[in-house]
Amino acid sequence: MWLLSFHRSIIFALQSFWRNIWLSIATIFIIGLALLSINFLIIINAISDSAIGAVKDQIDVSIYFKNDVRESKIAEVKSQLAGLSQVKSIAYKTPEENLIVFKNKHQDNPDILETLKELAGNPLGATLIIKAKNLNDYPEILKAIDNPAYNDIIEEKNFDDHQLIITRINQLADNVKKFALIISGLFVVISALIVFNTVRIAIFTHQNEIAIMKLVGAGNWFIRAPFVWESVFSGIIACLLTLLIVYPGLNFIQPQLTKFFSGAEIDLIGYFNQNFLIIFGGQLLGIIILNVISSSIAIGKYLKV
Amino acid sequence: MIHLLDITKKFNKNTVALKDVNLHIEPGEFVSIVGQSGCGKTTIVRLLISEIRPTAGRIIIGGWETTKIKNYHIPLLRRQIGVVFQDFKLLPKKTVWENVAFALQVSGAPRGRINSIVPQVLNIVDLKDKTDRYPQELSGGEKQKVAIARALIHRPKVLLADEPTGNLDAINSKDIIDLLLKINEFGTTVVLVTHNKEIVNSLKRRVITLENGQLTQDQKIGKYLI
Repeated sequence: MWLLSFHRSIIFALQSFWRNIWLSIATIFIIGLALLSINFLIIINAISDSAIGAVKDQIDVSIYFKNDVRESKIAEVKSQLAGLSQVKSIAYKTPEENLIVFKNKHQDNPDILETLKELAGNPLGATLIIKAKNLNDYPEILKAIDNPAYNDIIEEKNFDDHQLIITRINQLADNVKKFALIISGLFVVISALIVFNTVRIAIFTHQNEIAIMKLVGAGNWFIRAPFVWESVFSGIIACLLTLLIVYPGLNFIQPQLTKFFSGAEIDLIGYFNQNFLIIFGGQLLGIIILNVISSSIAIGKYLKV
Repeated sequence: MIHLLDITKKFNKNTVALKDVNLHIEPGEFVSIVGQSGCGKTTIVRLLISEIRPTAGRIIIGGWETTKIKNYHIPLLRRQIGVVFQDFKLLPKKTVWENVAFALQVSGAPRGRINSIVPQVLNIVDLKDKTDRYPQELSGGEKQKVAIARALIHRPKVLLADEPTGNLDAINSKDIIDLLLKINEFGTTVVLVTHNKEIVNSLKRRVITLENGQLTQDQKIGKYLI
């Protein structure tokens, strides 16, 4: 009998969903809008994360060695620095590579090129370009480079200016994260309230039917279940429609973003694919839970007949 | 069958709907409860289906003391009492068949039983050709017939009809009263709540008169005298 009633509650829900199609469409539309606004926020968060990540990725520390330092000595320094847990990567650039880069950079300045020609041989030494795993790791790396033992072989270190930039970027990233968290929280609360009230209004329109069902001997569960199912169906359909809008939307904005950020790696589709279960699974689960709670509360009010 | 013992119902300090009403209805009786608007007729129906609880007194229906009934038993009680309302109370988004079947579905009746009983009941009320219609596609009389069919679906021992002809013209009213008499002939106790003098006087059955919440007359073969 329990199974029969369960089956009937689903059939009644589908029937009511179809026979009140305009109400169902309106409910789905509003839930869909709430979900779209949440996805929009996820997109903004992903873009800001990627943008900050791209800026962070540009930061490195370069050590310019004197041109008479032997390659084996540089390899020794490189291996010592690579041993630091904070170091993500170290790139080695030979004096020849540095010369090419230097010439390319100043190809429009004949004076510099002329001076280079007058100098005997390559005046530039080798360079180590160090990247940290995290922005906060740079101070530790800089401290290690500041070792007096390296004073005789290092021509120049560029990290003095980096300190300030690193601190500012770190502050900016932290502030952006805090702001995004607050806005996300607000969006979720507003969306939840909208969905909650939409479901309540939908059930309000059925209050007479609920009273009639009670009067002909329907139990509370038998009345409640179809409405709960119906709101769950609306949530699922709204979620699927959101999915169908979000992906084409991402396809559309991806090239614009790449162009806007001058080729910086902001892969929104990749981000959504990687986090598909968390983003859409979370939204689906959230909307189902929210709809079950809202419809249960809303019906409860009319069951006292 | 139905016992009302010293029933008083107050909605608030100043509104007394019923005062010390004592009433006994035998199985198989056809009883009309009459009185002017606001005399407490509908309050009796609402008390009998446990829509409201009395302030004082006891109600016993078929040996079941409904004044002590637990909330979760109310649906079971309502499935044993057929009720017909003035405003029909049909589910607007369900067809005639579905409205009638719904009363069985709520009790977990299997599909086979529903498919066999619903046509029989719709046949009694002469609506077997309109099973797929929605309430808005029916006349007032037909709507009330659907409501009666729904009330009969559980083969109740008692049928309460609260102003069943209140929204109907004379011809449809006569049809409905004839139907109630037919149901009574099958052995169902019928309690007709009405203020329609003509109908009550034509019935020549027991008449209970209420005035200002008090039972003032109880005549075996009565007339509507107010």
